[in-house]
Amino acid sequence: MIALAILVVAGPLAGLVAALAGARARLAGIAGAAGAAISLIAAIVLLARQVHRPPLQAGGGFLYVDTLSGFFLLTVSGVTLLAAVGSIAYLSAEEDAGAFSRFQVRLYFVFFGLFASLMLASLETGNLGLLFVLIEASTLASAALVGLEGKARSLEAAWKYVIISSLGVTIALAGTLYLFYAASTLHLTSSQRLTWPYLFAHAALLAPAPLRLAFMLAVVGYGTKVGLAPMHTWLPDAHAEAPSPASAMLSAALLNTGMYAIIRFLAIAQARLGATFPRTVLLAFGFASVVIGVLFMVRKGNFKRLFAYSSVEHMGIIAIALGFGGVLGLYGALLHTINHAVAKAVLFLGSGDVALRYGTREAAGVRGLLTAVPVTGGAVLLGSMAVLGSPPFGLFLSELTIVRAGFAQVSPVLPLLLLALLAVAFIAFARTTTGMVTGPPPPTVPDPDPYPRRSARVAAMAPLIIGLAALLVLGLWIPAGLNTVILHSVAVIS
Amino acid sequence: MENLAATSPAGVLLDLSGVLILLLAFACLGSKLFNRYVAYYGAQSVVLSFAAAVAAWTFDSIELWILAVLTLAVKGIGIPLATRRLLERRLELNRDTALSTGLSTSLIAGGALTAFAYLVTRPQLLPHGLVAAAVVPLSTAVILLGALAMVVRRHTVAQLIGWLIVENGVFLGAITLVATFPFIVEAGIFLDVAAGVLIMLVFVSGLTRELAQASAGELRGLRG
Repeated sequence: MIALAILVVAGPLAGLVAALAGARARLAGIAGAAGAAISLIAAIVLLARQVHRPPLQAGGGFLYVDTLSGFFLLTVSGVTLLAAVGSIAYLSAEEDAGAFSRFQVRLYFVFFGLFASLMLASLETGNLGLLFVLIEASTLASAALVGLEGKARSLEAAWKYVIISSLGVTIALAGTLYLFYAASTLHLTSSQRLTWPYLFAHAALLAPAPLRLAFMLAVVGYGTKVGLAPMHTWLPDAHAEAPSPASAMLSAALLNTGMYAIIRFLAIAQARLGATFPRTVLLAFGFASVVIGVLFMVRKGNFKRLFAYSSVEHMGIIAIALGFGGVLGLYGALLHTINHAVAKAVLFLGSGDVALRYGTREAAGVRGLLTAVPVTGGAVLLGSMAVLGSPPFGLFLSELTIVRAGFAQVSPVLPLLLLALLAVAFIAFARTTTGMVTGPPPPTVPDPDPYPRRSARVAAMAPLIIGLAALLVLGLWIPAGLNTVILHSVAVIS
Repeated sequence: MENLAATSPAGVLLDLSGVLILLLAFACLGSKLFNRYVAYYGAQSVVLSFAAAVAAWTFDSIELWILAVLTLAVKGIGIPLATRRLLERRLELNRDTALSTGLSTSLIAGGALTAFAYLVTRPQLLPHGLVAAAVVPLSTAVILLGALAMVVRRHTVAQLIGWLIVENGVFLGAITLVATFPFIVEAGIFLDVAAGVLIMLVFVSGLTRELAQASAGELRGLRG
């Protein structure tokens, strides 16, 4: 079991090793994708073995895997695999076109591997201090990816990202300190007791005043990484300026890792303070994020920014689901997490293909995708439909669950407000993407075939098709295994 | 565990260090010269390493001694030297003109934040059994002052120093948990800060190459 947990974390490092050994984009990409595949398989096996057993613990709580961690490991390693396959295509096209130097390509694979590996590691630790260390380290690794292009715009985005996120995560560390202050009546002496399972089990003994501060600081701090408004300002810039597979990782993996940290603090806070205070906090941040996300989606412009604001919106929806609470709310939050991750990975990888072909990230410059590039066009269209919550895709089901949870748990005003906001989001988002997909393509598409080889072309299309298929399956029917996993995860934190 | 209470000599030394760290944060907030920012931050880190040494001596812990030495070497000497080199050789800056409020306004705001820190974390609100409870509001105030410095200063280097002050505040708070905070975590935080400064300095010098001055006021390419 421990070997499996290590394999999950070590898998993505394969691309890093290949890049350090001097491999070019294609080879380093293939190594990275193979490593990510191993990591995903290991995560699935680990989860399947773990789900009916007590949590895996080792090293005084530094290694701790329960079903909730397993669920997030599955999501993040799945996204990593999609993005790693997409990286083969994107990076070899950019290397071939001379847009990236060999040094930049090498940097990309080194930091991509580190980023994925650190995120997976942060999901496997029970020590809340180490959780901070790993999340901050993953921020730094991903900042290098955001600034990779080295132009003024990307450096600006990277600077904003690294300074805002670092401050945010440091605030979360202050929250962690307050949690330990709250626990000082427990006479904590060994590092074992600073772990989440110990604190959760002894939540009734925590001091309420510092715990309240701890929860607020953790939500603000890790919420910065999640992209909850008003701490979201780094998010659209970083997502727009990073290479597209890295944007997919940011949106579909990094944000979820931050949400995972918030869920851990939420569980402790709810156990001691009761449901009202933590839920109010999450509902406030959640609605602020949905409103901000929707408002900025109305603006036309860079399509990667559009997708990024949609991530702000969806993270808000997940926070709202946690705020609605109850088994149904938590179930909806987790289901929405995995659905959103897959859908956003598809959209960002698709946007990478579009940017390579059309040579622009402005929505106004892109027309007639369906005619010019049917597979990508179809993926962008269906991916947008999925992200907007139309049936038969998974997000319809999870948003429905969340709204139902709202009606069951709180007054009907909040779920109705959420529905209204979702309707505005639908119009704002679809207005831009339908324009990109339909109509005649411009007379000269700058680069109708940016990929040097057939294998790269396959690597560009495969994650789009696989991701959409997964979304369709999740919309029609939730596999029994996944259902069990989500129910067990909900049981872990309540 | 009682050794660090405010009545013992070690506790007094720790509280004094906390007060000095707070004063140095104020000094940084009230200054306009880049060299001073760096110098005050360096001095603050030296005091912090002294506080860690006091705790190490009290608890007789090798790991804490290592941390104290690391603090002195990395934060007290390494980071100030690297930042000063960047400032003098690459950026040729000395006077910070990118302030969004006057100095007196930011000092008054700093005073208000310190009062607020005492309001929310005064020792009576904290659980009994906490060693050196007096340090908690001090560290909270330092965190808030660092964040304030980041808000009122628009130059990237000044924001970096602000973040480092926030981090010093958190570290001061962590000293009160010495007996319980695992060494691996403290060392990891250290590594993160060092790597963070490194990567930020790379971005700052890249931005200086691309733009005339790396002031966040000039970072206007990305909007909406």
